[in-house]
Amino acid sequence: MTRILFADKLDNCLERWRSAGISVIGPVKKSNSSGYSAVTKAAEFDFNLVLPERSIKELFFPQSEPLMRYEIKKQEINTSEFKAPTSERIIFGVRPCDAAGLAIDDPLFGWDYQDEYWFQRRRETVLVTIACTKADDFCMCTSLKLTPDSEKGSDILLRPLENNSGWQVEELTDRGREAFKIIADLLQESQEKAAPTAVVEEKFDLEAALAWLKEPENFESHFWKEISMRCIGCGSCTFLCPTCHCFDIQDEGDTYSGIRRKNWDSCSFALFTMHTSGHNPRSTQSARWRQRIMHKFNYFPGKFNLNSCSGCGRCSRQCPVDMGITETLQELSKLLR
Amino acid sequence: MSIVEQYRTKVKELLSSGQVKMVIGYGAGTTPDRRRPLFMRSPEDADKMLLDNACIANLSGYLVSEGLLSDEKRVAIMLRPEGVRSINILAAESQLKAEQIVIVGFDTAGEELRAIEGSEAKDFCALIDSLKESAPLQAPDPLFERIVQMSPQERFNYWQEEFSKCIKCYACRQSCPMCYCRRCIVDSNQPQWINTSSHTLGNFEWNIVRAFHLAGRCVACGNCDRSCPVNIPLRFINRRMGMEVLEVFDHFPGMSESQEPVLASFKKDDPETFIL
Ligand code: SF4
Ligand code: SF4
Ligand code: SF4
Ligand code: SF4
Repeated sequence: MTRILFADKLDNCLERWRSAGISVIGPVKKSNSSGYSAVTKAAEFDFNLVLPERSIKELFFPQSEPLMRYEIKKQEINTSEFKAPTSERIIFGVRPCDAAGLAIDDPLFGWDYQDEYWFQRRRETVLVTIACTKADDFCMCTSLKLTPDSEKGSDILLRPLENNSGWQVEELTDRGREAFKIIADLLQESQEKAAPTAVVEEKFDLEAALAWLKEPENFESHFWKEISMRCIGCGSCTFLCPTCHCFDIQDEGDTYSGIRRKNWDSCSFALFTMHTSGHNPRSTQSARWRQRIMHKFNYFPGKFNLNSCSGCGRCSRQCPVDMGITETLQELSKLLR
Repeated sequence: MSIVEQYRTKVKELLSSGQVKMVIGYGAGTTPDRRRPLFMRSPEDADKMLLDNACIANLSGYLVSEGLLSDEKRVAIMLRPEGVRSINILAAESQLKAEQIVIVGFDTAGEELRAIEGSEAKDFCALIDSLKESAPLQAPDPLFERIVQMSPQERFNYWQEEFSKCIKCYACRQSCPMCYCRRCIVDSNQPQWINTSSHTLGNFEWNIVRAFHLAGRCVACGNCDRSCPVNIPLRFINRRMGMEVLEVFDHFPGMSESQEPVLASFKKDDPETFIL
């Protein structure tokens, strides 16, 4: 016997959580684009999406975040800080790769200082993940040693039932248990079987690729030019990626008053790491693509013992010129060391 | 011989005879319906080349990126008629010399894939002339018609909702062959003309700046629209601007390499109805 959350109880759950002061967010498709957005009725969820186009990261690390307001007067400078908005929330219907993506970024945001904008949201959010029963040609969690029912980063793991009428409930953390206590009497014990998880084939030999990247002489390899010839240098792959985390600090306003903001930045941009002198250590697109791969699969693992990729496949799925991590790592893993 | 075979032979000839140093075309993509840009440098590369109705991206932007043409050697490129128009604009705006580009022309309009005769941009003039005549009759689009019918307030709300999705990834700019500015105004930070933040105001600023800079320059290739990861219907903005420029200045961008850029040139008899 397992505990089951039947889909027809979902509206009651939303009601319960709302009365407990918890807002609910989930996979939603609107204006022809999908992402994780606020949900008030169960009908608004779109659980049929293989994966929302926009990743979960914007809910923890928004594309533009105000940090402080400044005002410079004759004799004084006034500043006031913006805090991350506080609100208890449940994200219901997270994909395992998105939940894992957040867990991958935790050490980064807590490395030399605790980024409270990130951690406050992390503390106040319960991630209710639904295991994947279907995948598309771009999914590649297994290549990163995760699975379509990976628990990494999740507070609750739901497994869709065979007849699609609901989900088996697995509570993984105390935070998850707390949130599900509120709806405990809406769950039912049942013998319903879970549907099999999606089959996602491994697309490359991760170990071989990592080993190649570690060799210092490969930094200058001709490979980088060849593989990135068609990259047009947009920010699509980095901005949609659940683990890409680069940002830029910008003052918006004038010399006397304005708002300091933290905005997403992308290593694909020609402006990324451009020096004031005009010199750019990564002056070509191939050097920038190398940075993206090296950062994710060499520098990040070197520092945190983790690959900065959860295998969601968005970078390949949405690339306007059909590039992506998958192709690069596939080609890399075939190269002789 | 099928068009693909015919063009594979042509590509091999171009490369083995040394007439061009590279041919830019299409190859297979990750999934059966995807094509990706292919850079062919040796005759054998031509075997990987594909040509069919899925080859829709306008590849001409690659010609002006990272100094490809700086050695004065010729480069061949597979283009649909819009692509040829963008070559004309790039030439008219002094970004490349049209003689340096060998065009391998094809068209997918009307479902049937066909080869187009010609090898330099000027060989396609008659074809582009006929496009100008048919341009106002572009395939009707119900959503476009709906947006045109909206009141200014409704239209503003419509675009506000669309632009609120924008993440400022600049895929629209990067995929556009006409967006070749070495330093885009949004990347100029001394001073910072445009907010880099991707909030609604910043998104509006960005999309409006781009719309204006593309007025009379857009060739309606659709690259921007297809690249936008959040599916903002950018084609409608450029289409509307294109209609305006055609009506007011009788200007259809990309007719020839000597056509003056409409917003950067002045004629005594230009109508001034837009000056308040
Ligand atoms: S790999 Fe694709 S999505 Fe990423 S910057 Fe290059 S063109 Fe854009
Ligand atoms: S690098 Fe690509 S596959 Fe990996 S997490 Fe980012 S978007 Fe997903
Ligand atoms: S491609 Fe779309 S999301 Fe990206 S900057 Fe352009 S309009 Fe915005
Ligand atoms: S604005 Fe869009 S449709 Fe027009 S030329 Fe540029 S990419 Fe093509």
